Amino acid sequence: MPELYLALLDRILTPILLLLAVVFLLAGHNAPGGGFIAGLVVATAFLMQILARGDSFVRKLIGIYLQPAMGVGLLIALLSALTGIGNNGVFFQGVWWKLSLGSFELEFGSPTTFDIGVFLVVSAFVTSYLLELSRPAEGAAR
Amino acid sequence: MKPPTSGGGVTCELPYNGSMLTNLLALLAVSGPILWLLRPHRWRHAGWLAAVAPAAVTAWLLGQLGPVSQGITLNEHYSWSQALGLALDLRLDGLGLFFGLIIAGMGTAIAVYAGYYFEKASTLGRFYALLFLFMASMLGLVWADNLLALFVFWEGTSITSYLLISFKLTDSNALEGARRALVVTGIGALAMLGGFVLLGQMAGTYSISGLLALPPNTFTGHALFVPMLGLVLLGAFTKSAQFPFHFWLPGAMAAPTPASAYLHSATMVKAGVYLLARLHPALAESPLWFWALFSVGGITMLLGAVIALRHYDLKAILAYATVSQLGVLVMLLAFDVKLATVAAVVGILAHALYKGPLFMVAGIVDHATGTRDIRKLAGLARSLPLVGAAAILAAISMAGLIPTFGFLAKELLLENFFALIESGQTQLGWAGLAATVIAGALFVAYSLIILWEAFLRRKPALKAAKIEHAPSALFVLPVLALTLVGAAIPFFLTAIENTLFAVPVAAITAAPAELHLALWHGWTPIFLTSLLAIALGALIFTQRERVRKLFASGIQVSGARAFDGLVDGLYALAGWSTRTLQGSSFPTQISIPLLAAAGVVIYAVSLNLVADLRIDWNAVPTFYEVVLPTLAIVATLAIARAQSRLSAIISLGLVGVVVLLIYVFFSAPDLALTQFLVEVLTLVLLVLVFYRIPHHAYPKQPKHRSMKYLLISLAVGVWGFGMALVAAGEPLFPLISDFFSLNATAAHGGNIVNVILVDFRGFDTLGEITVMVVAALGGYALLRASRMRPIKAEEDFEEPYDA
Repeated sequence: MPELYLALLDRILTPILLLLAVVFLLAGHNAPGGGFIAGLVVATAFLMQILARGDSFVRKLIGIYLQPAMGVGLLIALLSALTGIGNNGVFFQGVWWKLSLGSFELEFGSPTTFDIGVFLVVSAFVTSYLLELSRPAEGAAR
Repeated sequence: MKPPTSGGGVTCELPYNGSMLTNLLALLAVSGPILWLLRPHRWRHAGWLAAVAPAAVTAWLLGQLGPVSQGITLNEHYSWSQALGLALDLRLDGLGLFFGLIIAGMGTAIAVYAGYYFEKASTLGRFYALLFLFMASMLGLVWADNLLALFVFWEGTSITSYLLISFKLTDSNALEGARRALVVTGIGALAMLGGFVLLGQMAGTYSISGLLALPPNTFTGHALFVPMLGLVLLGAFTKSAQFPFHFWLPGAMAAPTPASAYLHSATMVKAGVYLLARLHPALAESPLWFWALFSVGGITMLLGAVIALRHYDLKAILAYATVSQLGVLVMLLAFDVKLATVAAVVGILAHALYKGPLFMVAGIVDHATGTRDIRKLAGLARSLPLVGAAAILAAISMAGLIPTFGFLAKELLLENFFALIESGQTQLGWAGLAATVIAGALFVAYSLIILWEAFLRRKPALKAAKIEHAPSALFVLPVLALTLVGAAIPFFLTAIENTLFAVPVAAITAAPAELHLALWHGWTPIFLTSLLAIALGALIFTQRERVRKLFASGIQVSGARAFDGLVDGLYALAGWSTRTLQGSSFPTQISIPLLAAAGVVIYAVSLNLVADLRIDWNAVPTFYEVVLPTLAIVATLAIARAQSRLSAIISLGLVGVVVLLIYVFFSAPDLALTQFLVEVLTLVLLVLVFYRIPHHAYPKQPKHRSMKYLLISLAVGVWGFGMALVAAGEPLFPLISDFFSLNATAAHGGNIVNVILVDFRGFDTLGEITVMVVAALGGYALLRASRMRPIKAEEDFEEPYDA
């Protein structure tokens, strides 16, 4: 069910949404955002693609990555939780590293990577449901 | 060697800061998947490469025999979750070393054997991955020094065992057997976890060494001793296939033979025995412990031996013989005397060294001839001399003929009962002795049956199976090696009795042990009883057809059938509740939980909570406090009045937007963002779902049903309103949000919502995303299934939704 005006709009909106998702993901620990929200934003971007160009287009584009992305996301989250133990702490104990790039300092820790895992699971989960549900039913008209 | 006193932390007699135990577990856990990646089925002798890791573990453990027998234990401590008392504590003591040697040593032989068993089957890599994961779990189980960690490893063995039994995915028998094994051992393990928690409560620590250092009456004198013991024993008995849970073990024989030989004979089924031995010092003083283990073990011993005679399948005979032997071990652990413990320890090793090889022989025979039915086999000792030699050596040990390792084990077993009679407990002693002689005679009988019918006689009873491809000598080598080790041990008793045997005995009895084992004691009553059992066994062997008929006509104790009945009943219950609660239309389904929730809250509100509400009647609502709710009410009415699905969905979306705006005005940007995204996505999802439902399925509601829904909606509305009032009123409990806002900066975050999600309550989030992945897989399968049988559209179906 591709729609012309959506196809025009999504050229502009999809990159913006994906960029927004990255911002939400990385800034999420201090500003509104986070992995869950970023995942939903990515799903929205793909939703737009589905509506604009049809589900088979999107499926061809990213279909095979969805299930692996969920698995990888879960693994990243689990490993982030385990870094605490590796660092002589307990399960889920946060471990933080400081990256200084000149005057700019970036704090990066196991909660951040955990959030990235959440992001992967959520985005792939929602997108895969959208894809499955938008697949035209066999036997149905259209 | 006495267990050291423990403060729950690191306990260590000698300064030891290594991490060898952890490294070995990691080595095994990693080497399986690596082998899989190397695609071992393409190599001719992959088994030898696979054996490197377990061989290394065996070698290291052998090196520890000396230090450990002098009372040195190795301890490693990793904190896992302090709040739960869960720590990954590993401890190598006498018992752990003894079991570790069996696990790693047998594992080495099995790794080589499996390489030839699977030949070039591409599933070899998967088998190795599972086998090594199992090995790591099993070693972790016997090395764990924390009850909860032990439980984790215990479940690890159950899961890998499940995957190994159901290894051949197309075999419905294997799937059934695997499910049964998993459910039975899983139920037992859950019960055991409950028992562990009680045990931990009594001791004040989950550390096993700490718990064993306490005086036994901490447990036996405790008010909750009986439930605790019952739960722990349930775990041990299900795992070790004791009556009445014995039925899962023969069903597990659908596993590939290397797995049967390893998991379901030599190692995993001994986990229950291990647990009993491990907790022996703390619990064995109780008479309840004695009677439970003695009766269950005794019944299992007799039952297994009797059923074994009924079967013609080599693996089935061996499986029931294993059940019987496990019964012997459990029965021996009932006693709180050194002699019984020695008999159990010797029995464990002897059994591993004859039953494992016998299973492996059955696998080779199956491999070479295509059958395991002893009626179709004959003369294998001549056609496959090496296999025959291994089989004969192992079978005479199983029969307990002098001078084998099995003979030594049986002597000790009998000696235990003679000692019991001498000590005055004559009735018990004679009963045990009689049971042992009967079981011993049956052991002799089926050993002779296997030997004679499959290996020695010239003509089979049925049409003979031909040897299609003879096994290579390298295939037989690991089997022969194990049997030779077993055959040699009785002749080197003095050299090893005070290391290999005394060390676990000391750990079980919690007292230093010095042993004097010998094969030959002269013409003692014990030896004469042993001869009597052999003579009886030979008699049964000569009358075997009659005995088989007699046993076959007897009452068939079918635990499997009872279990299947239980499972079917559970399915029926689930089906009934699903039909009743969820079989109706969607509005009815959704009303049930909503009304239940509303009912509870309305009841709570009716009690006295309303009085505490702080309602400021003089407050003047702001502009948006008036506009937004009005908008929501209008939108809600529009949903109820909607003539088509699309307009209903759009109105519903409007309600969502109002909620979103409320979040915005009350400065909750994170919630607003989430609400916005969820709103957009659910709107589209709803459209997509309704797109699939034929148009005519949106009928006009009859009046009485509309009224019903109106009442339900009102109740839910009152519930929501009440919740909001209570939440805004005087806090019933101290608020947790202060903690979050105070500590967010310590957790390196400025956004409290996010810090809660990924740090404070990270555990919840991890659980949620795990559920998400599981739900995704399940939903994916369901949507796939619905596509296979599409809902037939009606003829008048044209447009998915109304314009």
